[in-house]
Amino acid sequence: MSGPEVLVIGGGPAGIAAAIEMARADLAVTLFEQAPRLGGAIHRQPNDPSRRVPVPGAQRQRWQALSDALAASPVEVLCQCMFVGVEGNGAVLIEDRANRRIVTRNPAALVLAVGGIERVAPVPGWHLPGVVSAGGMQVMMKSTGRAPQGDVLIAGSGPLLLALAAQIASLGNPPVAVLERSAAPVLAAARLLEAPAYLLEAAGYLMPLAMAGVRWRRGAAVTSIEATADGRLSVATIDSERRERRLVVDRVALHDGLRPNSNGAKAGPNGPFVVSAGDCREVLGGVAAIADGRLAGRAVVAHLGGSPAAGDATEAQLVRERRAQATLNGFFDFSGSDPAKLPDETVVCRCEGRTLGQLRSILAAEDPVSPREIKLNGRFGMGACQGRFCTEWVASFVAHQRGGSPPAVAEFVGNRWPVKPVPVSAFVEALVRHPPSNQSE
Amino acid sequence: MTHTGQAFLFDGVVVPFEANETIAVALDRAGVVSLGDGQGGCAARYFCGIGACQACVVSVDGTRMEACLTPAREGQRVQSLGSVER
Repeated sequence: MSGPEVLVIGGGPAGIAAAIEMARADLAVTLFEQAPRLGGAIHRQPNDPSRRVPVPGAQRQRWQALSDALAASPVEVLCQCMFVGVEGNGAVLIEDRANRRIVTRNPAALVLAVGGIERVAPVPGWHLPGVVSAGGMQVMMKSTGRAPQGDVLIAGSGPLLLALAAQIASLGNPPVAVLERSAAPVLAAARLLEAPAYLLEAAGYLMPLAMAGVRWRRGAAVTSIEATADGRLSVATIDSERRERRLVVDRVALHDGLRPNSNGAKAGPNGPFVVSAGDCREVLGGVAAIADGRLAGRAVVAHLGGSPAAGDATEAQLVRERRAQATLNGFFDFSGSDPAKLPDETVVCRCEGRTLGQLRSILAAEDPVSPREIKLNGRFGMGACQGRFCTEWVASFVAHQRGGSPPAVAEFVGNRWPVKPVPVSAFVEALVRHPPSNQSE
Repeated sequence: MTHTGQAFLFDGVVVPFEANETIAVALDRAGVVSLGDGQGGCAARYFCGIGACQACVVSVDGTRMEACLTPAREGQRVQSLGSVER
């Protein structure tokens, strides 16, 4: 195999599909995954193969087909390797976590398939230990094959709430309640007949929940979370009739949908040909991610002068999934709590501990502040998560206060590497091993 | 079969782990939900599970790492960020 070198970042369905597609066209493919094992969030593999979380049959079969094809391909797979960014000179920087050093590559193309970002809208107390994202709870459950311990409350909006609730119920710990913000009538589910696979999946989740006596409360939400003296979480909730109720639980899983992740997706003029694939490009779910990964792989093959596979139904599948996802989204409400009702002490940026009161006072200034000023002076989006968990919300709050459309997230965070924190020692180690020379590769 | 009999230290406390576990999973099973003083005046804690939110960053043998991505290893010295700074 002597074709040009191409890199794939992310070992979920989109990345693996892209890698297989490019390897078929005789490109030299290396796939980097940050976790110790492949699968991504959706196909997270158990730590102990004998403790497997039940997943829908179709989902299991998709993973089996992907991992078989990958195993039969010449793709080089490197785990525990994090994408750092694309340097001005075009080099792709990877942090090899196991060896604690930076590795540089100069590929002809780069496929980013790093998955979406889970949206969690702030409520007072969302930064407390024991409060996790629903995706985070699900990933841990898939890894351990066990339900989380203690009383669990699941809240926010989206199909993931149902999936997680059903899975932990089937593992013996049904949630205390599932609170879905949207009050859109479920009768409209008939529209899902256009997307029978999702209807089947939803039925598969609702049945075990009904059997465990768990209600899917629509139009209900968490309004605040407090830590109790005995280490539990006291959660204030409100239902569709505006009735307030307090629940004391051990864990709260929050989730308000997924959004794309474009951090690091822009390469300079010297950089490789970059294509994004899967949920990081457009949140369409696991089926679409495979199709999108294939298309990304073909785009790379075409760009490098090869002849990509064509004439199959991949493109049509993506269109179908986009339509199904739009229908599905109609049953949910990803907007979070009404910001006007959130108290000043609500932490907005958890990395820097910045509150809504501080954001309100910045925005109250006579001269309108720019997104960069909100970041650099207000420190919103300045912290270690690099704005992944607050800037979208801050942007919509700015629009809420001032009217007009929200500023783009990129106006806050910019587009520079590293796309995630990297220890300086990793760069030093790379320099010790490979001192810079005047020769360019 | 998965019990390895292995353990790491979290702020001086012995935390056992099973095969293929991350530091975050082992701490959770041991009932450690707060990972000590973290960033921005918030306690460190497991949150997103995929290395995006940085809320579970701890010091692993002297280097900051996400507990949710870092495999547990025998004899590792894991410290909360607050205890490293003290």
